[in-house]
Amino acid sequence: MLRVRIVRALACTLGLLACDGPGEHKAPAPAAGESPAPSTPATSPESPGTPVRGDWLVVHSLADPENLNPLTSNDAGASQVLGWIFPSLVRIDQNTLALEPLIARELPEVSADRLTYTYRLRDDVTFSDGKPLTAEDVVFTLKAIRHPTVNAAPQRNYYNSVANAEVVDPHTVKISLGEVYFLNDWQLGGISPIPRHYYDPENLLDGISVAGLNHWDELEPAKKARAERFAKAFNESFNRSPMGPGALVLEDPARDYVTGEKIELRHRDGYFAAGEPLLGDPWVDRVVYRVINDFDAALAARKAGAVDFMGLRPVQYLKQTNDPRFGEQSVKHVDRAGSYTYLGWNQKRAIFSDKRVRQALSHLVDKRNVCDKLLLGLADPVESPIYPGRPEFNSALPPWSFDPAKAKALLAEAGWTDSDGDGILDKEVDGARVRLSFEIVSNSGNDDRRNLGLVVVDEFKRAGIDASFRSIDWSILLEKVKSFDYDAVILGWTNSGTVPPDLFQIWHSSQAVPGGSNHISFANAEVDGLLEAYRVEFDAAKRKQMYDRVQEILYDEQPYTWVYAPKSLSAYDRRFQGVTWYPTGSTQETEWWVPVASQKYR
Amino acid sequence: MLAYVLRRLLLLVPTFFAITFIGFAIIHLAPGDPVELYLSGGLAAGQSGISTQRLADIEKAKVQLRHELGLDRSIPVQYAHWVGRLARADFGISLKDRQPVWDKIRPRLPVTIAISLISLVIMYVIAIPLGIYSAVRPGSGFDQLSTALIFMLYSLPSFWVGVLLIVYFCGGDYFAWFPPGGLRSLEYSADWPLARRLADLAIHLALPIFVTTLGSYTELSRYMRSAMLENARQDFIRTARAKGVPERTVVLKHMLRNSLIAMVTIVAGVLPGLIGGSVIIEKMFSIPGIGQLGYQAVLARDYPVVLALFATSSFLTLLGILLADLALALVDPRISFGKAKA
Repeated sequence: MLRVRIVRALACTLGLLACDGPGEHKAPAPAAGESPAPSTPATSPESPGTPVRGDWLVVHSLADPENLNPLTSNDAGASQVLGWIFPSLVRIDQNTLALEPLIARELPEVSADRLTYTYRLRDDVTFSDGKPLTAEDVVFTLKAIRHPTVNAAPQRNYYNSVANAEVVDPHTVKISLGEVYFLNDWQLGGISPIPRHYYDPENLLDGISVAGLNHWDELEPAKKARAERFAKAFNESFNRSPMGPGALVLEDPARDYVTGEKIELRHRDGYFAAGEPLLGDPWVDRVVYRVINDFDAALAARKAGAVDFMGLRPVQYLKQTNDPRFGEQSVKHVDRAGSYTYLGWNQKRAIFSDKRVRQALSHLVDKRNVCDKLLLGLADPVESPIYPGRPEFNSALPPWSFDPAKAKALLAEAGWTDSDGDGILDKEVDGARVRLSFEIVSNSGNDDRRNLGLVVVDEFKRAGIDASFRSIDWSILLEKVKSFDYDAVILGWTNSGTVPPDLFQIWHSSQAVPGGSNHISFANAEVDGLLEAYRVEFDAAKRKQMYDRVQEILYDEQPYTWVYAPKSLSAYDRRFQGVTWYPTGSTQETEWWVPVASQKYR
Repeated sequence: MLAYVLRRLLLLVPTFFAITFIGFAIIHLAPGDPVELYLSGGLAAGQSGISTQRLADIEKAKVQLRHELGLDRSIPVQYAHWVGRLARADFGISLKDRQPVWDKIRPRLPVTIAISLISLVIMYVIAIPLGIYSAVRPGSGFDQLSTALIFMLYSLPSFWVGVLLIVYFCGGDYFAWFPPGGLRSLEYSADWPLARRLADLAIHLALPIFVTTLGSYTELSRYMRSAMLENARQDFIRTARAKGVPERTVVLKHMLRNSLIAMVTIVAGVLPGLIGGSVIIEKMFSIPGIGQLGYQAVLARDYPVVLALFATSSFLTLLGILLADLALALVDPRISFGKAKA
């Protein structure tokens, strides 16, 4: 959605997923093919007329956002809320996926060496307290992000190469970088300015530059002390009272932010793009995030009308929302979600270092069947780490076949045969007989992954492989994976459709270090070279060529067995008009509106 | 009496420290690490960094954060610091959002305590007459029926009953009699008249309280029943009957009073159970109490919050036991306050 800031979208590109439940309100898109198809005619007779202001949108939220500080918060729930309050310099058009100006008046002027970005800001942007947004606020935002003791490490890493930021004139800001990178356009454009006068009332960072903060150890003691005082206040004092230039405001935190109940955002006058939903001004008067911790309770709330928009679980989508009454009041939507689930083969383990073994194992995973039976048809098989809706996706790769005979042949070719007749394949390695035996681990609490694990283990056993499956606690799993202390793992990555992919982090051999995202230790010289060249290639067509080749190699190497991409499922109240689903599987709630006659809250 | 109370109070201190130290050690020794979760489980696990130095930066940030949070010290040292702060009534700062822990607990504690106390009262109000009635007519149709019924309730897991109630009575496909969660309606406003605010609260609390009390009637009414039956066999009851005391007085005065002693002792055990059980109920019905807070804190390895809740509930449990003991001493003259004099 528009509201999710670009940086968040970038983050999502590669976030290791603990679970791939619904709850992200990204739903389906393709030509509304799967829409409700109610057995009774829809009850909203209004033909899409002219949008009008009014009504509220009540969105289900599974948990409280704990922290609404725009820089230090680190959860998905908070970023939805903050998206309304803190628009970014540049937005992504959901149809064309092109960058378009938002707070910036136009796209940045980029120097020939691609190391200096100059943003000219609109001069009519005000914060919700009425004060104007200026270049100084943008520079302040970068200072706060780059400040080493501000608790914003996750965000800070995006701006590692920001060398300095300067105010050129009240509405022009110049950002210099230390590294050429094609995604800089997205990352810098994703900066959401926060008000200096509100977050640093004593102006403690005055006279301290981004460059100065980058060289923290060399900062003068007096400045350092001031900067530290700022960081302490910033980390602790603004976690429940965000204030920004967005179209919605958290007017009275004590009244509107009730822990465990709701966060209520109200529309304000004076937003710089009033009346333009695509620029972030919603038609509804309020957006309320209603906290309901339980999915069954949330569905009951939808049926009772207490919640307008929610993610559905597969069983709810398939079994609990089919009666005519539900169809009369709600629209169901299914769409591609931005994530995939995979089996990762730890190539530090000798048995998985042979490509043929990995290929054979992939031939033993019946993806189609997994999608149809385990995931009830609400998932698609995947063959590549790239979101299928992206231009970089290589659509020429055929589905990897489920073929036990071929798997057996490949294993035999790799030297794995049942020489002692005990039913388990073995091979002589360094003078000793080893059995083809390994354990697949995944995080507990995720039924889909457990079921997948059990199904593939079954198939592996039938092929003479001594495989087993075990679920372990997320934090323990994370530690095992980071220290390469496992055989095989079932995990997921998110892959956004909105922002161009960068596979460097997951597939470059330099990232195969403890704590790195290349946790299976994949290393391929050609892939390394392409990944590096891709990052500094500014021609999208050339980038596509490079990634087509990378995907071919990955397909052949099968370092992961890509298994499925779950679909995202949602339901929303029929009274909403103007609900558009974009090719990236998202919707922009700013465009939602309700005809006067059907308005529910006034 | 005063000496007895004082001695009991003094005994609380070492018990409390023993409990919290063990809890502290278990939480810190358990696998998982808040710093890892914050910097790796979320965005940091997977951001496409601009710089290839990213990993080193994350490692540096981790060391810094660990130091800042005091997690790089040994467990006894950390415990000493924690106790030191506790002595100043300071529970520390939540690792998750840097808010004072007490600020997070304070608004939630009354919610959980209120639900627990209301449940407790309802449990006793229903279970005691039930126990009396089935003791007065043991083996009667009512006794058998109520026994069967409460054992059935006892055997139903609360998370399952809760889901059924939500699906059937909270606006799903059947009845929309109750809201599916939360403490207040969305339209709630502080300007409503008191009666309306109370009614709003009552309808939100009805199902959670029902589910909370569900399994407890059995235990309580069984205790009551057996205490009554035991007393019924006592000599003084026979004497009272022989004297011609009306049956009503025999039951409600002589038998009941003596049986209540047992019920008082049970309170001490029931209250912590209620608070513990609140984790499930509060999550199911989206009630912002300490059970829900504790659940989220454990998942996030938010040590200060977990410990504060642990300390609070240990304290409440100890207090409950103390009060029960004192109450028992009050109602039962056979308990002596001082050391038995040889």
